[in-house]
Amino acid sequence: MILQIVSRQRSGGTVRRSPIFATITSLALLIAAASGTAEAQDIAEKAKLCATCHGEDGKPKEADTPIIWGQHTGYLYIELRDYKSGLRKNDKMSVIAADLSKEDMMEISQYFSEKPWPRLDTSATDADAAAGERIASAGVCKECHLDGYVGASTVPRISGQSPTYLETTLLDFKTRKRANNPDKSTLLASFSDDDLKTMARYLSGIQSQ
Amino acid sequence: MLRKSRKALAMGVAGLAVLAFTNAPASSQEVKAATKYGDMQTVTQDLLNRAAGDGNNFLHTNGNYQQTRYYPNRQINSGNVSKLRPAWLFQTEVKETMETTPIVVNGIMYITTAFDHVYALDARTGAELWHYKHKMGPITVYCCGPNNRGVAVSGDMVYLGTLDSKLVALDAKTGKIAWQKDIADPELGYSETMAPTAVNGKILIGTNGGEYGVRGFVKAFDAKTGDLLWTFDTTPENSVGKWATHDATGRDMHRDIAAEKAALKKNGDPYKTLGGGVWQNPAVDLDNNRIYFLVGNPSPDLDGSLRPGDNLYTNSLVSVDLDTGKYVCHFQYIAHDVWDLDAVSPAILVDVKNKDGKTIPGVLHAGKTGHVYVHDRKDCSLIRFSEAMVPQENMWVLPTKEGARMLPGANGGVEWSPMAVNEGLSLTYAINLHQPMTYHVESTPYPGGKLWLGGAFKVIPAEEQWGNVTAVDYNTGKIRWQVKTPEPMIGGVLATAGGLVFTGEGNGLFKAYDAETGAVLWKFQAGAGVNAPPASYTVDGKQYIVVAAGGNTQLDYKRGNTIVAFTLAE
Repeated sequence: MILQIVSRQRSGGTVRRSPIFATITSLALLIAAASGTAEAQDIAEKAKLCATCHGEDGKPKEADTPIIWGQHTGYLYIELRDYKSGLRKNDKMSVIAADLSKEDMMEISQYFSEKPWPRLDTSATDADAAAGERIASAGVCKECHLDGYVGASTVPRISGQSPTYLETTLLDFKTRKRANNPDKSTLLASFSDDDLKTMARYLSGIQSQ
Repeated sequence: MLRKSRKALAMGVAGLAVLAFTNAPASSQEVKAATKYGDMQTVTQDLLNRAAGDGNNFLHTNGNYQQTRYYPNRQINSGNVSKLRPAWLFQTEVKETMETTPIVVNGIMYITTAFDHVYALDARTGAELWHYKHKMGPITVYCCGPNNRGVAVSGDMVYLGTLDSKLVALDAKTGKIAWQKDIADPELGYSETMAPTAVNGKILIGTNGGEYGVRGFVKAFDAKTGDLLWTFDTTPENSVGKWATHDATGRDMHRDIAAEKAALKKNGDPYKTLGGGVWQNPAVDLDNNRIYFLVGNPSPDLDGSLRPGDNLYTNSLVSVDLDTGKYVCHFQYIAHDVWDLDAVSPAILVDVKNKDGKTIPGVLHAGKTGHVYVHDRKDCSLIRFSEAMVPQENMWVLPTKEGARMLPGANGGVEWSPMAVNEGLSLTYAINLHQPMTYHVESTPYPGGKLWLGGAFKVIPAEEQWGNVTAVDYNTGKIRWQVKTPEPMIGGVLATAGGLVFTGEGNGLFKAYDAETGAVLWKFQAGAGVNAPPASYTVDGKQYIVVAAGGNTQLDYKRGNTIVAFTLAE
């Protein structure tokens, strides 16, 4: 078990990471190690490590963490792939994905996709729902995310997702802080921040089957 | 061909309805045994060759190898079409966008749904015979909805292209997989929504991916084994062309040739990620052993700065040799396209009058530009183009960061929707969209198989949208008749020897028009968007018209899951 991690900064100096970061790192190493051995742990056992943040019942522990239970295999795989390549960045997930093979990513993604999508206690006000629907229609979101915003394959389900995560994601796409889908950024840049926040509340309140 | 639905008005959230079945990967295939009408008849090459005169079956997605979508039976005609009534309905288990053309062989019908299900039905009753659910791979990447436009039939097999870019051969009697082959890597943006074409022991198929930086192709596979026979890359290693400054109609495209040449010198030829999808079936010229197909837009759609040159053979009619896939000829409509006004609707082979009035073998294509183009089949050269079927304004203003308004919007004109032809009247029937849009450009580097538009298309919310059905005399280029529809049109057309033209609308109406005048002779409300090409067939001496009513993802037309077959009331 690694209790702390030291990484090199661009300047050549070093920085001490937080204990939570160290825990994540050690879990990531466990996932990778387990995936790589002939006597690999059962995937369910490995996936327990993910529950540290994403929740043991599929409900994320923190508001800015997405639901991954019931999310599509293709989307989860592409995100893990992009974390590994550096196209998408996140202190925790970049470390976790760093040592995963393609097979690992597929296996983990498949595992979570087969879990039931959890219902969060979220709802939108009537005003948010009306405005959000209008904004989402202007963005033609259903052309990719489909009816009910349930997505398919590499296009994520966004209905019923954590509102905080959705808002952060939409704004991060707009500013290109999240850079692994440039055309999404181009589209979302045409909306105001308030519109994106409203749309996040609207989408999170939709409880599709 | 990115199909852009930018509808000005919200379409409602009716779609919160359950879609769980489309959401998850399809389960393993299910096959039911059932009593079939007669014995399944082997589809011989001779039968396929003679499809244009076959008054019983409907053997090709576009009716016959010439792709005229003209059905030769006249039992249902302009004099009695008012008595057309539903004979049966069949509901699939997938309530999503439907673009399938039903294929009918000796009383057995094959239809497909979104997410690549195939059903075999008794064409007399709609009873299900078997159901194949494609076990979808984890990665699918497609721009315009989880569509499928149908199957090809040959011998005792049924052939399907899938969203995860596989070619699947099914036993026509049972729906069980005979073989399955990878066509291309879906992680790089390849997918299949078109129906394959079966001819002379080969299965031909193109690819989607023009919005993802693929290198487009048409491939030929062995019909029995699935072995790859040849590949024609739609973007050749030298894609530069002749630095054309004007489009096929003579309009200036405002290219900055000097800047493009500098970019070419700096970055080289962009052919590896240049797009060039082939969305629809090739027409087959059996006499000359050639096929004719249309190649779609270059990648990225709106940003020409990354792809200097004419971007051959994007936005082109192309002909290759059927046996070898070797290039024969091409004609490019829009060199270095930055509007996605590409070539999608399938090629049609008919005899046409050339500029000297002499009748010669020709090729028709309807463009997103709103023109029908008429070509000489010998060398692909352009003979004439029709009057514009939709408003054209501000062509070819270059896209800007803030957005430049130009008509047609990027859906057309004529989208993928196949035309139908009545050669006796020298008329081709097209369905059109009118969707005013602004074109925005924003350069981003190749994103590795993800959506790569290089900007955005936006519908102008304040402007009215509509559609039309247009009959064009291909020997003169003149519009013979035109009927406006309340919504942009997408789906396809069927013409019959009964003097009729059938096509459907996003509002659920399915209509029959008089082929000569455009008068609406009959209509039926199907309850969901009729956005698929109709077909016709005859069993036990009774002619049927059949069409899918499943709505459309691209234009967000009301979804459904129904196949409706019509026949004359007793």
